[in-house]
Amino acid sequence: MTAERFRTWVATVLIIGVSISAALIALGFGGALFVGWSGSLLGRAAGSADPSDFSTVVAGLTELRPIAIAQVGLLVLVATPVVRVAVSLIAFGLERDRLYAAITASVLALLLLSLLVVR
Amino acid sequence: MIASVPLGADLGIFAISLAAGFVGALAGVGGGIFVVPALTLLFGVDIRLAIGASIVSVIATSSGAATAYVRDQMTDLHIGMFLELATVTGAIGGALLTAIVAPALLFVILGLVLLGSAGLQLLRLAELPTEASPPSPAAVRLHLVGSYPDRSMGRTVGYSARRIPLGFALMVVAGLVSGLLGIGSGALKVLALDGAMGLPIKVSSATSNFMIGVTAAASAGIYLSRGDVDPRIAAPVALGVLGGAVVGARILPHLSNPAVRRIFVPVLIVIGLQTLARGLGLA
Repeated sequence: MTAERFRTWVATVLIIGVSISAALIALGFGGALFVGWSGSLLGRAAGSADPSDFSTVVAGLTELRPIAIAQVGLLVLVATPVVRVAVSLIAFGLERDRLYAAITASVLALLLLSLLVVR
Repeated sequence: MIASVPLGADLGIFAISLAAGFVGALAGVGGGIFVVPALTLLFGVDIRLAIGASIVSVIATSSGAATAYVRDQMTDLHIGMFLELATVTGAIGGALLTAIVAPALLFVILGLVLLGSAGLQLLRLAELPTEASPPSPAAVRLHLVGSYPDRSMGRTVGYSARRIPLGFALMVVAGLVSGLLGIGSGALKVLALDGAMGLPIKVSSATSNFMIGVTAAASAGIYLSRGDVDPRIAAPVALGVLGGAVVGARILPHLSNPAVRRIFVPVLIVIGLQTLARGLGLA
């Protein structure tokens, strides 16, 4: 793989991540203007979930609650840099760039470790 | 927990975030420095939720700007990845040390370092990137050599990283500071890339931007699990910052290096003063 293709891969991951998260956050934000943050686009009764609690996101999503839609968008946004590192690892591997595959694998491992350590 | 923010405030938060993303993309720093004081001082948002939104804004600036910077070859992917090893290691160390180190003293030291660096940056305001001296063997072996198309000069400018151990060490410090203080430390990253490693300021800014998203993602997990990210605030911030960063990143390739430095230095001074104020308990 050429450096040019690697660039394209990384740029594509970023554009997809940013577009999906922006669309979801905008949908949640726009929806909230109509039915309120705790409302539901399906017209369900107002929810009582704590908006900063991300563990209720799946239940909220099935009822098309603006808060849950925005939460998923925020999660996609936060995950985008991590996915970008993972895709870089695949790209360096395909390129047979052992040095950078090792460096990227270490970054990814440390990123995942950080999620455990910081609790 | 705050009451739901009225629509006017939503639009205000969106507008300020738009500006924060724009300046952040150009200066190589996260939008957090503008977002946190605006949210707390203008909109009365709880500091905890403001910092949660600021982590989101750092990631939004980084990814939003990188969509253009990576394609335009402003970001050096090898240098970025190599140094992410340093920042992520530092960030974990910092998170482990939070119980031991007094944050107030650290804020004061960091504030003074940033203000001192701003003084040094002032001396370099008119500087153009010098033509790359022959790259060191270490820079070649580590692929820390590259070039970028400078639209303001109408030609491709080559560069290679100098003082690699110093740059790496500074990036570990930048990571430590991020982990300890919960900030993106984009300003320190630009200083390490531009000041220590001798890269053109435009490449430094774009590469720092690229890196802060990974550093911030490393600590975003804690903020999410602590309940510090409230979508009612973080959603307008993320949308505004993404929009501002995408526009800013389209402008940077057309600016001259001195122009980018003239944007970076005032941002550095603002961050330095703000950091100092936090350390002295004034903010």
